[in-house]
Amino acid sequence: MIMNERYLRHIQLSQVGSAGQEKIRKSKLLVVGAGGLGCPALQYLVAAGVGTIGIMDSDLISVSNLHRQIIFNEEDLGENKALCAKEHLQTLNSEVKINAFPFDLTHENAKKYFDDYDIVLDGTDNFYTRYLISDQCILSNKVMIYGAIHKFEGQISVFNYQNGPSYRCLFPIAPKIGEIQNCTDLGVLGIVPGIVGIYQAAEAIKVILGLGNVLSGKLLCLNLLNHQNTILKFKKNKSEIEKIKKGGKIIPIDNKDCYIGYEISLSQLSNKEKIKWIDVRKTDELPRIRHLNSLTETVSIESLIGTKEKKIVFCQTGVRSKEFVKEMIKKGIENCFFLKEGAEKLDKWGLNKLNDKKHNEK
Amino acid sequence: MEYKLRYFGQLQDLTGKAEETINHKFKTIGGLRALIVERYPKLSNINFKIAQNNFIDKDSSPINGTLIDFLPPFSGG
Repeated sequence: MIMNERYLRHIQLSQVGSAGQEKIRKSKLLVVGAGGLGCPALQYLVAAGVGTIGIMDSDLISVSNLHRQIIFNEEDLGENKALCAKEHLQTLNSEVKINAFPFDLTHENAKKYFDDYDIVLDGTDNFYTRYLISDQCILSNKVMIYGAIHKFEGQISVFNYQNGPSYRCLFPIAPKIGEIQNCTDLGVLGIVPGIVGIYQAAEAIKVILGLGNVLSGKLLCLNLLNHQNTILKFKKNKSEIEKIKKGGKIIPIDNKDCYIGYEISLSQLSNKEKIKWIDVRKTDELPRIRHLNSLTETVSIESLIGTKEKKIVFCQTGVRSKEFVKEMIKKGIENCFFLKEGAEKLDKWGLNKLNDKKHNEK
Repeated sequence: MEYKLRYFGQLQDLTGKAEETINHKFKTIGGLRALIVERYPKLSNINFKIAQNNFIDKDSSPINGTLIDFLPPFSGG
């Protein structure tokens, strides 16, 4: 039993006590997405003394994040969110073991990371990852703490708790691209994800302690404008859960809107997309890629500020391009990515594209 | 029968309303959905859930509540 001064105010609660605090210390929680929801949840969970916390996020901190992801500051711009959050959180509580995973959750890696934790907190901003989390929580038998926001509203629920319903029981049909407004089109009052994220953290602590009524089979809908806060009950849909269990694997949804981080692969690009290519190699590095009309290394980042089109930076191996994108993000440039593949593969891809175009014009 | 309808999230933007009251006769949740989509065609592309008296129900269920909520999934985080 620990009687730690740090957690005295927890321990004084008859519902927590030393035994409860010890339960918190022994628990392992993975936060997927260190953004608007994940950051505030993380701050309270680390402060509460959750023993092991994983943070997964491939995203880099941009200036438009700072109005709601208040764990980060202006010096962090361009840094990876998982690594940076770990750094800040470790100074808040050195007793917590924090593992940073600076990459995306995928259907290939989900099992490996979920198996090490008891609870998964959904801090994502896209349906693709949300369904991944839900499916893997069913397969690995983990509790999923769900939160999502829209402008001044929030939704919170706890899935897969004591054999309860999952996200698919609530929304069995995944939205198609464009059906629901996505993360980049949508404004949000910075405080809203703060409240929802902290609500998620509270549900996580309640699950750990077996305290009160957990939001299982219930969706809490918050509205900050009119305080019309509602709990909507819903039933378990056994066939949805069985579908995942029987298949034994995640069923990735088609809608990948907002899923990509700043790294982009040629396989993720469509032939028709209009792209501004930026080559950050020296002029004597081969192959030269002329057919894509790319901007060269002499381009000033300032000249790209305010441009709306998709910008993809490439170099020989993907190292310099990543650094360049970090600088772009620091300057507040949006819709920019670095190419996973090097110039050689891009050259071939570009030539194929050119040939396709010629072929179509014939 | 008088029903109080409440719209959540994006459905508020698309209907231009947070809530309204209607007088109508419905047999099922599905019937109610059809009328609302007819009234607000922009909702036809969205797969939203319907709750009656705070219980999310399927389209084939008979209507027995008067407080009706229309709920889309939220994407943001």
